[in-house]
Formats: sequence, C-alpha cells, structure tokens
Amino acid sequence: MTNREKLRELLLDILLLDPSEFHFDLKRDEVETWDSMSVVAIAVGVDEDFGYHFSPEEAMAITGVADIMSTLESKGISFAE
Amino acid sequence: MPNDPAIRPLDGLDPQRLGETRLLATRSVRDRIAALPFATARDIDELAAGLETLIVVGGGKLMDEAKYWRFTKSPDTRLIAIPSIWGSGAESSPVAVLNRNGEKRIHIDDRLVPNERCVWPELAESIPVPRARDACGDTWSHALEGFLSPLASAQLRSQLAVIIRELTGLPLTNDPAWFEPSAQACAAQAQSSVGLVHGIAHTLEGPLRKAQPEAGWGHARLCANFIWPVMEFNRNRNDKWTDLADRHELDEAAVFERLRDLHDPSVYDQTLKTLDAMWPDILRDVCTRTNSALVRESTRSWFLDRSFE
Repeated sequence: MTNREKLRELLLDILLLDPSEFHFDLKRDEVETWDSMSVVAIAVGVDEDFGYHFSPEEAMAITGVADIMSTLESKGISFAE
Repeated sequence: MPNDPAIRPLDGLDPQRLGETRLLATRSVRDRIAALPFATARDIDELAAGLETLIVVGGGKLMDEAKYWRFTKSPDTRLIAIPSIWGSGAESSPVAVLNRNGEKRIHIDDRLVPNERCVWPELAESIPVPRARDACGDTWSHALEGFLSPLASAQLRSQLAVIIRELTGLPLTNDPAWFEPSAQACAAQAQSSVGLVHGIAHTLEGPLRKAQPEAGWGHARLCANFIWPVMEFNRNRNDKWTDLADRHELDEAAVFERLRDLHDPSVYDQTLKTLDAMWPDILRDVCTRTNSALVRESTRSWFLDRSFE
C-alpha cells in the first residue's frame, strides 16, 4: 500500500467518510466530523501508521489533508503518486 | 490532584461549622446515616434553595443529582460528598450524568465539583462483592485510560502512575481502601480524557439494560469486563503503554493480571451481539476518539474474535 493509500484509509476511518467523499484537497471546514476529537485521533493514527508524532501546535494548525501531507513530507515521508 | 475537593474526616462534620444542613442518602445506607447529627431529606425535591450545607451519601447517580441540584438551584450551598461505593468518582468529578425520561444527559462544569468529600470506610461492608469488583473495574478504567490519554500531561501521568501502583496492590473486593484512589483517579482523568472502555460502556449500557432489564447491566460492569480486552488492544496496536509503563516503573505483569481477574468471559459473551450492532456508534463516541490507540472499523473483530485471549 502506498503512503497516499494509507493516509486515505486512515482519514476515511477517523472521519467516518464514504470513499466517494474523500479527495486529497479536502479541507477541515468541509467535513462535519473533523472536530477537535478527530484532530486527536489523526495525531494518534499518523503516529501509528507513519511513525511521526505531531506536536500539539502542528496538530492544531492542520487545515486540510494537504497540510498533513506537507508536514509528513517535510519529515521525509513521501506522498509521490 | 487538580480539582479534587478538600478531604474532610467523617468526624469533622461539625453541625456548628456547617450551619443549616440536610443529609441526602441512598436507600442502602439509610440505617447507617442515623449516626450522623443532621436532618435528613428523603429525596432531592425536599431540598430548599439557600440551604447552607448538603451532605450526600450515595453512589454516582444520587451524587450527580445532588451536584446538579446545587449547580442549578442553590449555587451557594456547600456540598459534601460521601461515596457509598467507589468507581464513578462522582465525589471528585466536574461531570454530572443525569437520566431524564430514559435519556442520558451529560453536564460538565468545574462548579459541579463538590466542595468537600469524606471517606466513610464502614460503608464498604454493605457493598455486595460482585458489585464491588465491577466498581474496581471502573476505577481501573479511569486510572489507565487517563494515564494513556493523548491529552494527558507528563505531570498528570506521574500522578496517575502513583495511583496505578496503589491499585495494583488492592484486592478486587469490597475493601474500603478503594475509596481514596478511586476519587483521585477520577479527578485526574477529568484533566485528560478516557478512552475506548468508556466509549463501549457509554454506548452499550442503555441497549443492554433495555434488552435485559433484570440482568443489572451498568457502566461499571462493562468497564470491568472490557478493560482487559481494550488494554490488550492498546498494547498490541502501538508501543505507548509499554514505553509509559517502563518510564513510570509500573509492574506491567501485575497490572494485566488484575485486569484479567476482572474479566468474566460469560458476562463478556453476553455483550458481543450488541457490541457488533452498535460498533458504528462506539466509533463515534467522544471517548473512543481519544483512545490511546486508534480505533477503526476493523477493530471490531478484535473483540468479536477474542483476539486478546
């Protein structure tokens, strides 16, 4: 499974989305279930699946899927297609 | 512990200091409260706003009603809480869970915390052992889920580690030594969060009670029977528990031995059909979403297949 697929699966599970609702440009304010509890769950899930632990500041600054990918890419985790 | 009410010895309940006082007690301890020099109220509706002191002796349900009454009707009343059983931690928590027409309503406010709490050790004698064991499971769940919470600070974890070490040495029975660490564990987890055990308990207790009204299903029994499977899931899913237990010098083997002792496979089996049906609601529960390991759709099979055994 590629990192893009892993991230997609992770966010589908956490945000309880139908696969058709997901895209990599998705913003936090477009998803009703992306509340502060989901921010915590995303931090836990990213740690488990990608081995990177978001700081509280990083986690709170996330405004969409692209922010998660760019933070992880800055740590050497590639999301190249 | 932050937010934990002041602790007062039982013989420190001086009528002259407390002023106009009413005593509200759960039925199971009414014989014992005759020893206290205060007028009693039969139920919450008998209480008048403006009362100087309300002493409530009971379990979480009555205590939460008293907390909410004080909060909404008589905010200047001094509230003194004496638990008749441990586990809920209502005597030290800013949460009040109320049942209104079969619907559970949760209120959270620091002003719900009682002003003082007392331990009355002899009340433990009247707790049936199976109920006491379930209450031990509730206490263990508060301590471990608060300790592992992604929202816990390093300082809070250190405080909870002390409590976990104390719990490891306590027998799973009606021993009054449970009162104090239970109150402390609840006050501590209120500063972080709980996790999947509570997500499961909150989701299943209503449907199980409705389906089997005579079976006595309740929050504590579910906590007692799910804390071991959930902790095994947490331990299996990531290294957080192992790392933190090591850092805080917790005896992992002794902790898991206690959790296994709390688990009754025949009770657990009775929950599985409901757990399977309610899994989507468990995933949505706010407690589940702050579990220390990520809980996903696929996690359902961990419980249904008993992968923890």
